[in-house]
Amino acid sequence: MWRFTWRGLLAHKLRLALTGLAVVLGVGFVSGTYVLTDTIDKTFTQLFSDVTKGIDVAVRGKESFTTQAMEQRQPVPEAVRDQIARVEGVKAAEGNVFGYAQFVGKDGRPVTTGGAPTLGTSVYTTPELQGSVSLRSGRLPAGPGEVAVDAGTAEKEGFKAGDRIRILFQGPPREFTVTGVVGFGEADNMAGATLAAFEMGTARQVLNRPGVFDEVDVVAAPGVSPEVLRDRVRARVGPGYQVQTGAEYAEENARAIGQFVDFINIALLAFAFVALFVGSFIIVNTFSIILAQRARELALLRCLGASRRQLLRSVLAESALVGLVASVVGVGTGILIAVGLRELFSAFGGDLPTTSLQVRPRTVAMGLAVGLLVTVLASLLPALRATRVPPVAAVQEATMAAPARIGPVRIVLGGLLTAAGVALLLAGLFTGGGELSLTAAGAVAIFLGVSVLSPLVARPLSRLLGWPFARWAGQPGKLARQNAMRIPRRTAATAAALMIGLALVSLVTIVAASMKASVTRVLDETIAADYVITGPSGGMAGFSSDLVRRLASQPGIESAAGVRPGAFKLDDGSTQGLAGVDPPAYFRTVRTETIAGDLAGIASGGLAVQEETAERHGWSVGDTVTMRFPVGGTERLQIKAVYAENQLNGSYLIGLSTYQRHYADQLDAIALVKARPGTPLDASRAAVDRAAAAFPGVEVRDQAEFKRSQAAQIDQILILFYVLLALAVVIAFIGIINTLALSVLERVRELGLLRAVGMTRGQLRAMIRWEAVIISVLGAVLGLAIGVFFGWTLVYALEEEGITEFAFPAGTLLGLVIAAGVVGFVSAVLPGRRAARIDVLRAVTTE
Amino acid sequence: MDQEETAAAGTGPADAARAVDVSKVYGAGDTEVRALDGVTVAFPPGRFTAVMGPSGSGKSTLLHCLAGLDRVSGGEVWIGDTELSGLSDRRLTLLRRERVGFVFQAFNLIPTLTAEENVALPLAIAGERPEKGWLDRVVAQLGLGKRLGHRPTELSGGEQQRVAVARALLSRPTIVFADEPTGNLDSRTSAELLTFMRRSVDEFGQTIVMVTHDPSAAAYADRVLFLADGRIVEEMDAPTAEKVLDFLKGIGG
Repeated sequence: MWRFTWRGLLAHKLRLALTGLAVVLGVGFVSGTYVLTDTIDKTFTQLFSDVTKGIDVAVRGKESFTTQAMEQRQPVPEAVRDQIARVEGVKAAEGNVFGYAQFVGKDGRPVTTGGAPTLGTSVYTTPELQGSVSLRSGRLPAGPGEVAVDAGTAEKEGFKAGDRIRILFQGPPREFTVTGVVGFGEADNMAGATLAAFEMGTARQVLNRPGVFDEVDVVAAPGVSPEVLRDRVRARVGPGYQVQTGAEYAEENARAIGQFVDFINIALLAFAFVALFVGSFIIVNTFSIILAQRARELALLRCLGASRRQLLRSVLAESALVGLVASVVGVGTGILIAVGLRELFSAFGGDLPTTSLQVRPRTVAMGLAVGLLVTVLASLLPALRATRVPPVAAVQEATMAAPARIGPVRIVLGGLLTAAGVALLLAGLFTGGGELSLTAAGAVAIFLGVSVLSPLVARPLSRLLGWPFARWAGQPGKLARQNAMRIPRRTAATAAALMIGLALVSLVTIVAASMKASVTRVLDETIAADYVITGPSGGMAGFSSDLVRRLASQPGIESAAGVRPGAFKLDDGSTQGLAGVDPPAYFRTVRTETIAGDLAGIASGGLAVQEETAERHGWSVGDTVTMRFPVGGTERLQIKAVYAENQLNGSYLIGLSTYQRHYADQLDAIALVKARPGTPLDASRAAVDRAAAAFPGVEVRDQAEFKRSQAAQIDQILILFYVLLALAVVIAFIGIINTLALSVLERVRELGLLRAVGMTRGQLRAMIRWEAVIISVLGAVLGLAIGVFFGWTLVYALEEEGITEFAFPAGTLLGLVIAAGVVGFVSAVLPGRRAARIDVLRAVTTE
Repeated sequence: MDQEETAAAGTGPADAARAVDVSKVYGAGDTEVRALDGVTVAFPPGRFTAVMGPSGSGKSTLLHCLAGLDRVSGGEVWIGDTELSGLSDRRLTLLRRERVGFVFQAFNLIPTLTAEENVALPLAIAGERPEKGWLDRVVAQLGLGKRLGHRPTELSGGEQQRVAVARALLSRPTIVFADEPTGNLDSRTSAELLTFMRRSVDEFGQTIVMVTHDPSAAAYADRVLFLADGRIVEEMDAPTAEKVLDFLKGIGG
């Protein structure tokens, strides 16, 4: 039987190669994801162990206030450093500060990163601690006006010792002389971040850390272990501080990064799963067709005494071999895909720092297992079906084109699957705030259910979609339509692969369009400002509040307001986000409906709470809320006002005076400017631009420009999704090529007959082309239907997250269908060429 | 070769088809096989010719070469006034579509098309519509009237072959080639089909060339050509089954 398996493989090399390609791409995506995330993980782990080198014990503020955007901690006062220095066994205790500092390049533009922070820090003076940075050239800064630059930035911007450069801070920008270039072990920068290192006094001044440190690093005296010293320091400084050994500190940092890496990993694996899922349809389909074509051969083996079990084993061995080979190639391809993904992210502004690619045994094992499993499982169904062939089929005349009957089992099974999928999807979306795994399971079940049902609609839909071809593309068009309708199960299975890709593509298209519509609506309704100013690095970095002060003093400007984001904790321990604003100016630029109290009241302290948040906590005006802040500890703030939801304010607003008391950094994330009524547009614009000119990197946009920029951000994410889904679509088209190629082989005699009675090669190619287009458009239409349903439910479920509008981008969706048709057209090239090469004689003569 | 020489060989442009010194060689060197070896023959219009010979005698090869399905190794093949050897694939295809009709032994019909669509297929491929009166007449003559809406799988073997003959006749081709058209039929349906073919020669003036190994089928023809080892060894006019059988016994067919 082994020989039979082997011969079967050889006889269908090309078809199996195409099937294998689907597996290769899916497995490649899976292993590429692991390679990429392992590499990122390794890079950061290495980096953290480098930068904590020499630190025996690290002391930081205990409480961390972590939001999506940042981590904030309570600073460590100088007196605490002095206490630590007196602990027995401490050789040295040195404070360290870090905060926002952004270089300005020689071209006058701020140096941006792909999302990594732009940091300023103090240099260590303790020799044991200086090991974390390596001086590449020059010397370390020693006084005011001096800075050392990380090697990455130095290379990119051409900075060298002696250069005069400008650096942006929370306060006004300042000029510095570069004294040296530093690296971090082997690395040129800290995972993509830029770093400006100053002497401590300067650092505290420019980073706004008067009398405090962000961290105190301790070197142990000889013979004192870090653990012992940690416990002693902990006993001295008390429970308000987090005291860790250097190793623990590095580990914690690595763990935080690990979460981020895990997130990327899961997100990418989701796309890889889609690719594999689509690929499994191709496998099912190809094996079904190949085995159907070999039905007589299998029956002959049965006649000769092979048992069903033997046939099954042989067929499964065949698929296992295909799966194994494809998986091996796939793991190799994964390394390329990892590189591709890294480039993809960097093209979208998210530089993922990486060293040499990490291919761990786990990645290889995972890739092989997944590929093998998917291939064998997917071929199980066709194998079971094919081996059920009765021995007598070997001697019977094969009946051509007897359409497979679509039984009631299929209808019931498909209906149940679809219904269960819809139920799971809705349950996932609408109960308990987004249970992602339920939603995903629901989507998978819907795809399976619809695929099971799709042969029912394949015939009528092909008839409908093929109508224009039958009408206008002559006899080739008519035959193409007939061929698409001929074996509904095959057409449906081929189209189903594409359906999945298209459903997801149209889903993200609809959600993105709805987001854009929602954002536009929010901005229309709530922004009274004429200009919106965002910070450098595409708004990732904040900017000095000096800008708002300058703006306010410009002629023609009625008011300017900055927004400073922050995090705090409620007494239930949950971390919440707030915004620090200057009430009169802010509420002139952002329309906020007061439900109760007086919003202006927060100027002198206290807070304002959004209506629904207040209701949930049972708060009303006059109540006090206990809030814990990164700086200054706990404060009880009185509720001065309750305001209506407007998507822009968030849930909590406090005045700037309160904000200044509780946060180390005073950076505006966004500034809103309202022109004085009656000021000509160009005059107010000129005034804003004049004020902003001193702050390199800030973006000034009028309302319309701001809306467009928000839409452009959404579009960018949309394109990222498109690219990640592209692989699934590519696999679907491989499926179409495969099915067509197999159909061509199956219809050799028929195609030969057509040629004999006068069909030209061009007409033959056209016939195959139109069939491909009909199948593609069929898949696209089914996918669109599911995608619109998904999109509609998802947008509805995300209403609370701010997606209040459902947009139906009809033009784009139609474009998708047309694009599917075009790619179908292209995928018919190879099968068409194959068909045109058919030897007429061999086709029409009976052997 | 100029016109006079071909005329001297007993053929002329008035013929529906002719072969002049046609040879067909497969392989090369030691494995060379001469399937046709200097065949010269003409098919005058309105005549029914049967081609016979033992297996491997080259009769099917001759038919394929005459019909433009296969290229000759040497010599000339003419359909009417067109010489085939110089034609591009496209021109050859158009010639087949417009001037040649085919009936094969099996698998004559496109399974997805109805009988009527199959009959009209060559015209449809050319983007033309059948002439209604002519279609009705051909269909009536072949007794297919009630079966036109059916698909091939719903037709009997004899009906399928009759549809194939109807298709071959519908475009009023210069010549119809039939390759063992009764090979898969029982004797009663064979007789029926051959009667139809005979009638299309008598009533429509159709030229037919038919390869067969069945002497009783050959008896429906006006003339029988016998091939052996790639050469024409005998021509027999007004054949009967007995005469054909006797001759075949003589050459060991």
